Amino acid sequence: MSGSSIWKGATAEVVVDSLYKSYGDEFNSKLVIENCSLTAQKGRFTVLIGPSGCGKTTLVNLIAGYERPTRGRISVDGVEVRAPSSDRLAVFQESALFPWMSVFDNVMYGPSVQRKLSAVQAKEESTALLARVGLLEFRDKYPNQLSGGMQRRAELARALINKPDVLLMDEPFRGLDAMTRQLMQEYLTHLFETSAQTILFVTSEIDEAILLADTLIVLSRAPASTKAVFAVDFSRPRGIEIFKSARYSDLKAEILDTLFEEAAGAFSSASRAYAETVEGYALQRSRTSS
Amino acid sequence: MTAVPSTRLHRPPRPAFAVGMMRWLRAGSNLEWALAIISIVGLILLWEYARPLGVPGLENVPPPSEVIRASAKLLSSDIYWQAWGLSLRRVAIGFLAAQILGVPLGLALAMNRTALDTIFPVVEILRPIPPVAWIPVAIIFWPTRELSVVFIVFLGAFWIVLLNTIGGAGSIDVNYRRAAQSLGSMPRDMFWRIILPATIPSIVIGMAVGMGLAWEMLVAAEMVAGNTGLGYLLWQSFEINAIPQCIVCMVSIGIAGFLSSEIIRQLGRYAAPWQRQQ
Repeated sequence: MSGSSIWKGATAEVVVDSLYKSYGDEFNSKLVIENCSLTAQKGRFTVLIGPSGCGKTTLVNLIAGYERPTRGRISVDGVEVRAPSSDRLAVFQESALFPWMSVFDNVMYGPSVQRKLSAVQAKEESTALLARVGLLEFRDKYPNQLSGGMQRRAELARALINKPDVLLMDEPFRGLDAMTRQLMQEYLTHLFETSAQTILFVTSEIDEAILLADTLIVLSRAPASTKAVFAVDFSRPRGIEIFKSARYSDLKAEILDTLFEEAAGAFSSASRAYAETVEGYALQRSRTSS
Repeated sequence: MTAVPSTRLHRPPRPAFAVGMMRWLRAGSNLEWALAIISIVGLILLWEYARPLGVPGLENVPPPSEVIRASAKLLSSDIYWQAWGLSLRRVAIGFLAAQILGVPLGLALAMNRTALDTIFPVVEILRPIPPVAWIPVAIIFWPTRELSVVFIVFLGAFWIVLLNTIGGAGSIDVNYRRAAQSLGSMPRDMFWRIILPATIPSIVIGMAVGMGLAWEMLVAAEMVAGNTGLGYLLWQSFEINAIPQCIVCMVSIGIAGFLSSEIIRQLGRYAAPWQRQQ
């Protein structure tokens, strides 16, 4: 039972092609995403890294189908994204578990409204998934009775039961304490390695990015576009032991250098958030190289 | 015997009674109860014994002892209990009608922009009119006095329930809607499983406030337009200068309002169990 994959395995490729997104009217518009192109390959873990305020969340909202692009195209396996769908499920930083439903009912929500599974099947799968994320004893609790880490796992279970082609995760571990965060990272790594689900994960944490990613995409400062793409080729299964390797230090330095290139522009631009983040990176950089 | 730390030596021992008392007060809600009883008894004592001190105006108000005597008489009369029954019935009907109309209308307005823009201006014109100001028109409009009183009660509870429902359903976290959309909700799932439960806490708050207003409007309407009920009995007692009886009616209305609110509170706990303390 524990060995069998709960994920479908049949996953999809996400292609973002020359994407533009602006808000406001034609006289007073703010460009958030500018000519952004990227690919999340089938069955791979793709991480987008960029400072807060650079337009990452907008990008996730566009891929999820909550908002429509101003120009450009997003497609999943060649099919254009036009509306939200259970093929593309998102886990956000703020818990979006329905507070009025028990954990079990939250997980059961997708199957019960889609009516693709029989009630018995749905129950079995929910139970199996809750066991998999370690929440079986908490199935009858309400979300506000769970800790932050548990809420994120419950949300993961609620998404996974629908066997999405793509799992979108927008800084899902932000706000968790360091210990829980690390446990969740290891947990997600393990989950990914036993499933090979396409995951698109957004973060502003460089260590988290390297630990999780097969492909790491650095976004520019706002308006967001693709700055650089790195292949993160640590063998899987992998764990936090990679932090000790020389390859890790090299990669991290390389990524930080890429972020530095943006720094001059960030200071001259109005993006305070970006400038602050780059300062933070500079601090990390000096620690890494010393 | 173990050695006593020297710092404790100078403390005088507490009598066993005081220790037991302290323990009792610290346990659970005992302290709250004790304080509540002390303040109520204090108020009654003050009321009874402040009169000889010559507080101005108080000489015309009967002391608690007289009120208690009057209540013994009133409580044994059928008229009093009939008044209770009629008032309770009016509040129940008016309040329920306000929920039955206000909650669905509020939900419909919150979900339909055009309907909101059409109907809300009317609401905004009518709502500021105090329900009491409706009494003359209500008397002319409704065929019986009974119906006009119920109508005033209804108005008291209706606006607040309507506004709370619109507000609650209109401010549902966009993340819940999006999650529900992504997970494949049909419009009816969206309504019954997302919008309605997400609005329940606001509806319950509207009901709690509405229940208070319903009692206020009931008393005013019974005084002006009624010929039965607790509000009427209160006014009639005043007219025949039976002030102790007046006060019994006042306290009765207070108790009725408190009990009604308690029912709403319990209903709220039942309808929104996820909001209870862990």
